[in-house]
Amino acid sequence: MDQLIQDYKLGKEEIFETLNQFITEVIGEEFVEEMDITPASSFTKDLEMDSIEIVAFSEKVKNHFGSNIDFTGWLSNMDLDEIIQLKLENIINYIQECQ
Amino acid sequence: MPIINLPNVRLHVQELNPEGQETIIMVHGMFSNLAVYYFNIAPLLAKHFRVVLFDMKGHGMSEKVPTGYDLTSMTNDLRDLMDALGIGQAHLAGYSYGGLVALKMATRFPDRVGKLAIIEGPDPSEQETLTIIDTYSREFLIHYIENFADTTRLLAGKRQLEKNHRMYEFLFNETSIRSDMEAEKAFFNDPAVAAIAHETLLIYGEESNCVPSGRTLASRIPNATLVLAPGDHNIPVQQPEVIGKELEKFLEAASLPVG
Repeated sequence: MDQLIQDYKLGKEEIFETLNQFITEVIGEEFVEEMDITPASSFTKDLEMDSIEIVAFSEKVKNHFGSNIDFTGWLSNMDLDEIIQLKLENIINYIQECQ
Repeated sequence: MPIINLPNVRLHVQELNPEGQETIIMVHGMFSNLAVYYFNIAPLLAKHFRVVLFDMKGHGMSEKVPTGYDLTSMTNDLRDLMDALGIGQAHLAGYSYGGLVALKMATRFPDRVGKLAIIEGPDPSEQETLTIIDTYSREFLIHYIENFADTTRLLAGKRQLEKNHRMYEFLFNETSIRSDMEAEKAFFNDPAVAAIAHETLLIYGEESNCVPSGRTLASRIPNATLVLAPGDHNIPVQQPEVIGKELEKFLEAASLPVG
């Protein structure tokens, strides 16, 4: 049963790699080299992304994972503090749940 | 991310609910970008409307250009953007200097504007306007340092600070933004402002230095309602739900068929 599910669901690792790539595209390779991006990295504190960079990141997520996920809608239910606290793993879990 | 080529400038644009029947275009303020609306206010309005957000020239991910930060050039950009997106008429909401852009649109292209919502639009004749904006920017940076510059991660913190610093350096030293804004000093006294016939909502923060500007507009624009909400000039960030709900209420009334 587990095997069957894994056959068509993207694993956490794959999603992480994709998101990692998007972050690199948004903030630039030269800055990413100085960071250790992990699923526990938070967007504002660890990755130091500002709101317009998170917008650019969101657009990449939406374009890649398509209409199955309502990423902007999901973010809009959070207040500013929650967005500031947001970690990469929260998004990975959200994308997995939507599959 | 969609970049739209207009005759004079390339602008970064984001649309929510493109199928919506009526459109609202939201204009951000100086030294800000479309993200001020993107996460909370825009998704709320997108339940009912097509929502168009864009970065002004020199801001966010739009093209950095040396000139054209006056209200006439800014409204030329907005008209060109509406043309490019095939939008005949839209409701407009503008925050701070973006509020002045929205007002100017209503005076120059009244047929292109439905309802008008001005959030914290400052009276440019107030000597303090630029000072307010300057102080606001400094406070913003200090706030940023205190909240996000974790001393154990100085390298990362430095990137954002430098990015912000670069934006102010660019806009203040390499563009006409200061003189363009100063040249708009008499804007609230323009008879065209008092002749705005659109239904207008003015939202100001109770604690904001800009409340007198809101009262001035309320006294001049015949069809205007002033709403004071808890907060200061930074109210869209402090109270996005309040701003979103006020806009929703104001615009919903527009779309309900009469009779």
